[in-house]
Amino acid sequence: MGENKQFKRALIGAACTLAFAAAGTAHAANWLMLQGTEDPAAASRAEVWGFIQAKYEKDFSDPNAAGGFVPPKLLGPELDSQDGFNINRARIGVRGTGFPLDSRINYFVLLEMGNNGITHDGGAFAKLTDASVTLNHIPGARVRAGLFKTPGAEEGLQAIHVFDYINFTEVTNALLLERFPNKNWTEAAGSNAATGNVGPFTEAQLQSGASLNTFDSPIGAFRDVGVQVFDAFDVGNNWEVSYAAMIGNGNGIEFSNSDGEYDTYLYLSAEKKFGGKGPKAEGLKFFAWGQKGSRLLDKTDDSTANLVSYDRDRAGVGVKYMKKPFRATVEYIAADGMIFVGPDKPNFYFTNNTAHGNGADAEASGWYAEGGWYIPNTKFELDARFDTYTSLEDRVNQFRFDKWTLGMQYHFNPKTRITLNYEIRDFECDSGKAPCTSAGALTPDYNLKGVGNKVGLQLTAIF
Amino acid sequence: MLKFFRSTLLAISSLLFISVATPALSADHSLADYKYVLHISDMDPSKQELILNNARNLLDAYPPGDVEVEIVAYGPGLRLMFAENVNAQRIDSLSQSGVRFTACGNTLKGMAKLLGEEPKLNAAATVVPGGIVRIGELVKQGYIYVKP
Repeated sequence: MGENKQFKRALIGAACTLAFAAAGTAHAANWLMLQGTEDPAAASRAEVWGFIQAKYEKDFSDPNAAGGFVPPKLLGPELDSQDGFNINRARIGVRGTGFPLDSRINYFVLLEMGNNGITHDGGAFAKLTDASVTLNHIPGARVRAGLFKTPGAEEGLQAIHVFDYINFTEVTNALLLERFPNKNWTEAAGSNAATGNVGPFTEAQLQSGASLNTFDSPIGAFRDVGVQVFDAFDVGNNWEVSYAAMIGNGNGIEFSNSDGEYDTYLYLSAEKKFGGKGPKAEGLKFFAWGQKGSRLLDKTDDSTANLVSYDRDRAGVGVKYMKKPFRATVEYIAADGMIFVGPDKPNFYFTNNTAHGNGADAEASGWYAEGGWYIPNTKFELDARFDTYTSLEDRVNQFRFDKWTLGMQYHFNPKTRITLNYEIRDFECDSGKAPCTSAGALTPDYNLKGVGNKVGLQLTAIF
Repeated sequence: MLKFFRSTLLAISSLLFISVATPALSADHSLADYKYVLHISDMDPSKQELILNNARNLLDAYPPGDVEVEIVAYGPGLRLMFAENVNAQRIDSLSQSGVRFTACGNTLKGMAKLLGEEPKLNAAATVVPGGIVRIGELVKQGYIYVKP
């Protein structure tokens, strides 16, 4: 895909979305406004809030014939076991208007203390995930500056404490939940010449200290540090059109712009509001987004530092319907460059030959469809989701991750719920050519075919 | 005969007086059976919704004309009557249903000093010199005082 194609595709998608919306049909929650603004003349000076998510998960995957495991078969962020309990999120934040008489300025701060890719990979006990100030002085052009969620895919932009599943879709996990190349990992030349990446590791190796997660930076967490201009407009007949344009470091929740280049983001949505307010507002929302950036990566398997700048472009379109008792979401996401595959580099590690390609300059795409049914007059909700992700598209080592997630939620009250998920996973190398068709350890399927199902139980408490 | 004309004239004059003076009477000499003054001076945003809910519930609980409601705001609670307040539509609706919204002039002056300009109020709001004084007057007139 050409350099600007992703962005153009996003813009065209957005235009189509708005055109379709304007033509007469289409609210779900407006995350731009919910996260970036406060209710005028009705916000607290400092509202303390947060949530805790505790979970148990068990992965039923089998190791490869040599007993080796790859990351999709183990539980993160440690990637050293297949079952266990975790406090995967524990966040506390403050938001409001510091000077409540002036509704034109509001702020948002959130701290993560759970055990996940934000804290584990950064080696921190706690990590700031949000710290932003919004200036609402210019009609139609609110300005939000600081660290916050970037305008993008619904699955990433939505508030995680109201996310209806335990794990993200494979496409969102791989393409949007950014892993930054390990800058400090100096692999001895030739130590892993086949992959330029670590693993697979056996259980004994993992228990002896081998690590499948060697990232040294926190995951991007769908966030960036920068400035965003945005607003939402009531265009009549309960329709709301929103936009956001942002420029950021392109370094996730880290406060630096190490490559000297900036990421740019664009988001457009049109929503028909049905009623309600907050994260569970009802409506039909069409949205499109795109982002452009670049990353530095040393992908050669030697002990010499030779960083190369690779484009990292993402784009997507989607629609979300929410009107109790039903909910439905469909999203398509495409990516060009810096396709994450490996445990320490956006690299290629499912086979034994680097000649088969590398994620740094590859393309990938995927989509998902999900729905929920709030069983009337009960506290139960049933959820189902299918997602598919094709990575290293059109390359001989192209692979596809398909996943079904069946879920049930029990809402003790609007702030506390328990989520049960069963994931049925089918991961395979599907190019139809070697190495996908190769035998034994020469094929990526040597590692991928053992990926099995996964079950999880998660308790969420919001305060 | 003259007595009849005098009585008729007196009756008509009284009716005219009553009809002209009705707006003032509704505030000070209401004929409603139940009269409530609802007081908001809190910063807490949830109190804003609560007090509007109270007003709506009172209107719904009695036959039309049997209840009179006045919301008096001062201190941080005056934000409820800011023109930009997120509940402005509900305030308009309640106002049209007869609920009176009264804003404290002293608070307004103080806010103007802090902000450098006087905050714009909802058109439904009537400014009185002092919110606390207004509450006292209404209680003296027999209003039931409620602070949610």
